[in-house]
Amino acid sequence: MKRHLSVEDLARDGRFVRVNIEDRMNDPRNLGGPGAYGRDAAEQADDGDRAARRGLGRMTPDAPNAPDAARSLMHGIFVGEIQALEGAGRTCYDFDLGEGPEEVPYALKLDMARQCWDESRHCEISVKLTESMGTEIGEFGESPFLFQAACNPDALLRLAGVNRALEGLAIDVFHTMREFGDKSGDPVLEFCEDWMLADEVTHVKMGSDWMRKLTVDDPERRARALEFQSVVDKLFSLGGGRSDDEDSPIRLARRFRQMAGFTDEEIDQIADVSREAREEADNRLAARRATATAG
Amino acid sequence: MGKVTITPEAFTLVLFEVDRIRDRAAEIAATAGLDGDVHLEVDETNPLARLRVISWEPIELFAQGGAFEDSRRLRHLSDRNLSESLGRLLFRVKDRLDPGFADAPEDEKLSLAQQNVWDVYCLGRLAAAGYDVAKPRWHYHFRLRHGFTDLSDAAFERVWMSDGLSWADLDAVCMETERARTAG
Repeated sequence: MKRHLSVEDLARDGRFVRVNIEDRMNDPRNLGGPGAYGRDAAEQADDGDRAARRGLGRMTPDAPNAPDAARSLMHGIFVGEIQALEGAGRTCYDFDLGEGPEEVPYALKLDMARQCWDESRHCEISVKLTESMGTEIGEFGESPFLFQAACNPDALLRLAGVNRALEGLAIDVFHTMREFGDKSGDPVLEFCEDWMLADEVTHVKMGSDWMRKLTVDDPERRARALEFQSVVDKLFSLGGGRSDDEDSPIRLARRFRQMAGFTDEEIDQIADVSREAREEADNRLAARRATATAG
Repeated sequence: MGKVTITPEAFTLVLFEVDRIRDRAAEIAATAGLDGDVHLEVDETNPLARLRVISWEPIELFAQGGAFEDSRRLRHLSDRNLSESLGRLLFRVKDRLDPGFADAPEDEKLSLAQQNVWDVYCLGRLAAAGYDVAKPRWHYHFRLRHGFTDLSDAAFERVWMSDGLSWADLDAVCMETERARTAG
């Protein structure tokens, strides 16, 4: 069996369509604001100038776009779970046992196998939730960024990118969806998200624990892993869509991150990185608008 | 049958075919029983999916480009979303011209629940006419606005299968589901 697959090797049946993040970022319509299920200026009047300029706002059931925004996000969670399952499976298989930098301890493989078990359950739950929300499998495109992070040849960077950064994002997203389920009165969404959230805390904690254990005598390797995690955190702050700010569509779930082994300092760093991502996105938008006006 | 015109006459930011939009709009206008001219403005600069009936005499419609877009292929037309969005607009125009809807509030004054039940009424008729409509999607929309209850589900089915309703009928559904929500 092949080891160390590339993201291009990721197989899907005909229902799934791959969408590149570059296509989304380079959408010429981005001058105006968000994706199709964002909020337009009329809906953002109370959000202040910053959110209004980029169409972001809290995901609440009473927003006009709420039903399709929730469906789109749930489908994104679903494809993320498939990739998380595949990623954990790769990490379980791709490395020989040992103590060397290109090897992993048996206990780490055991944790990855445990994660596979959890993620396959999440796939099943997500399929049922997408069905209950009236969404077809493959109705929305799939960006393979989570699996891409799991393709890193260094097991430690995989844990940093997937378990700490992307599963950390999953904590924030599931927390948001759990609140959405509660406020909307959906009898299953809140409980399913809460159940999956508990597992994600465990997965992130696995990443936190292994990062510390594998680098206890190698601070340089730890610094590289944390830097990679920070890059992924920033990339997937969704242009500021995930942050500590009250008006963010996805709020940083501080309490759950603490349970997952993040220190307050680390959480503050993620909040800072998210703020930077938001400012950079605002600046890019302003520059593109200026170019368009001049042209 | 009236004439259908589209603005813009050619798209530059999205890969939409004007002829396809025009032909589908004409087809659905006829299905809805409309015989006046129809003008549709599509805002291709905006990937959001808002729809508006600007006026019903003459028939002037507005759609943000995302309303017709394929959620899997950015900037491409989706056949189903095109039909559903045009159906929501044109059947609503049909209703606005019906004396039974004379006391319906202006679109801007409709609550989310009222907008939704009216959309469901439009889409049910579109589906009955043989168009591809994602009924489970709109059922979820209805549940979010009217509650996750057996009464709400029954109301959805009733409205979906109906024709010949009045504004009072639709508003009564909203009041019924709201009572069930607040009682629960």
